[in-house]
Amino acid sequence: MPRSFRPGLAVAAVVLALVLSFGALALFGKDPLEAFAAMVRGGFGSASALGESLIKAALLTLTALAVALPFCTGLFNIGGQGQMLVGAIAAAFLGHALALPASLEIAACLSGAVLAGGAWGLLAGWLQTSRGVHEVISTILLNWVAMHLIENGLVVGPLAARSADANVSLPGTAVIREAANLPVLIAGTRLHLGVPIAFAVALALAWVVARTTWGFELRTVGASAEAARSAGIPVARRRLQAMWLGAGCAGLAGALLVLGTEGRYPPHISTPYGFDGIAVAFIGGSAPLGSAVAALFFGAIRAGGTRLQLLGIHRDFPELIQGLALLLVAGRAVLGFLFARLRRGRDVEASRA
Amino acid sequence: MREAIEAVLGSTLEYAPSLVFTAVGAALCERSGVINLGLEGMMRAGAFAAAVVALATGSPFWGLAAGIGAGALLAWLHGWLCIRWRSDQVVVGIAINLVALAAVTVLVESMFGGNSTPSAHALPRIRIPGLAELPVLRALSGHPLTSYLALFVPVLAQLALGRTRWGLRIRAVGEQPGAVATLGLSVSRLRYQAVLLSGALSGLGGATLSLAVLDAFNDLMPYGQGFIALAAMIFGKWSPLGAAGAAAFFAFADALRIGTSTAGLHLPHGLMLALPYLLSLAMLAGFVGKAVAPAADGQPFDPEVR
Repeated sequence: MPRSFRPGLAVAAVVLALVLSFGALALFGKDPLEAFAAMVRGGFGSASALGESLIKAALLTLTALAVALPFCTGLFNIGGQGQMLVGAIAAAFLGHALALPASLEIAACLSGAVLAGGAWGLLAGWLQTSRGVHEVISTILLNWVAMHLIENGLVVGPLAARSADANVSLPGTAVIREAANLPVLIAGTRLHLGVPIAFAVALALAWVVARTTWGFELRTVGASAEAARSAGIPVARRRLQAMWLGAGCAGLAGALLVLGTEGRYPPHISTPYGFDGIAVAFIGGSAPLGSAVAALFFGAIRAGGTRLQLLGIHRDFPELIQGLALLLVAGRAVLGFLFARLRRGRDVEASRA
Repeated sequence: MREAIEAVLGSTLEYAPSLVFTAVGAALCERSGVINLGLEGMMRAGAFAAAVVALATGSPFWGLAAGIGAGALLAWLHGWLCIRWRSDQVVVGIAINLVALAAVTVLVESMFGGNSTPSAHALPRIRIPGLAELPVLRALSGHPLTSYLALFVPVLAQLALGRTRWGLRIRAVGEQPGAVATLGLSVSRLRYQAVLLSGALSGLGGATLSLAVLDAFNDLMPYGQGFIALAAMIFGKWSPLGAAGAAAFFAFADALRIGTSTAGLHLPHGLMLALPYLLSLAMLAGFVGKAVAPAADGQPFDPEVR
């Protein structure tokens, strides 16, 4: 966790981002309160809305973990999007190609996606620890490599769905087998098994990081690689492990997308959950639990965003709130300064009275 | 064959400038010690502002100015948070991208009710007399102003960075900011200058997309070019001329990809599109040459700590 991070500041940043973005709506002649109410209804208003919110929150939790875990060791993984796509294509391939009984099939697809996403992240980790390539740059570059190789390569080439009729071309990969679909848990919603899995992963990782020797070593590497090295902790190894595990979470997010909602790798995965994970992780203090809490909030407003369309506001509006909140968290030095100033002003008034 | 060369040369001159401007700006910015990951957002803001102002005033030149201004405005925010408040440059850059991406999407829909602006006046095409009649070389004629600017800006930036006192100072704050402060110069001011220049150039790059490549803004802009520019800067080893060369090379490779596929020859598209990033990675890893970032790149300068 960055030293200067305080949960109160993150909440203040989110509230301020809400006020700023909804306030801006007034400039376009929209009623901010009506829009806000619509967004809340869209996120929480019904069982199916709640299901959508939780599905999005689960994906964001996993992609935020992809940032938070490596960050424990001081690595900054911007590659969640690419790792997610690699996990998604692995899940789509396995879900179509394997022929196992249902529970085994799902377990195999999920672990395949974790391994594939993890391997893609490990590539950046290896470039950092052995070739000295800054992981921020390498993960950014690898995002685009993954995107192009998968969406302009595999999905339109070797893994493209083939139909019996040569004249009908189906976009995306072949539909996964029935057994590979994550079962829906609550009828009337799309809430699937992947959602509890994602939150269980977040809880488990939070415990591991906070309570085990291994987790302590990760945090020591992040606090001071020099000190960790002199204490006999294998620094490069811990970094690689954290990167692998984080990227594996992003890969799992890809699997949830394919096995839970899409049913195949679509021609183009347009939702930038991997990039959003960066924002969610930092707003959540780059810790596993904080990430999950932030993901619940942003998942809900993201789901609520679809309702805004009825008011003529683009459904990506919640992305703006998220971006502003990240900007405010990044510039928390400014917020902290303003708060300190307000407090001082109040103290001065109090002493005068 | 001659037509093919002319076509590839012509389309490189059409599609490279937006990348060239942004990559040159990125090189200046990072040489001063500030990482700018907000290039994509700055290009987007520039492209949108340029189209809107060109529509409103009827003049693409005002649009160009607005694009530059919008990029610089976001860069000022980046500088203010990173230089004045020493915020994390990587996070601020990402936040700027997110804000610009979403804000412009929402604005386009509220203002124009769709995902693109109506057609504005594109920049006029400049026909170079004499050149237009020559074989092959005639591909150099008939491009908008920005294409010709893209030939001069990198040279200018290279000279400014390498041969002027200002350039020496910019390079010094990127390597040893403490030493520059000891001379009584303001590290902040120099870094602000570089960051603002980078924003202005990204904005110009964005404006090129909506005023020269197309005559309108659409919601997909700038198509990830901010990140290709970043890759170009790395492949060009953090020098303006190198960055511009890499940007031109990437644009050329893309023109070749599109050209060969329309000619019925199928290169693997995924691999071709991933090429800029793969080449930059190979360069960084030291498999092809070696690229080294400025020593103080990404580190906020704190005068209290030496």
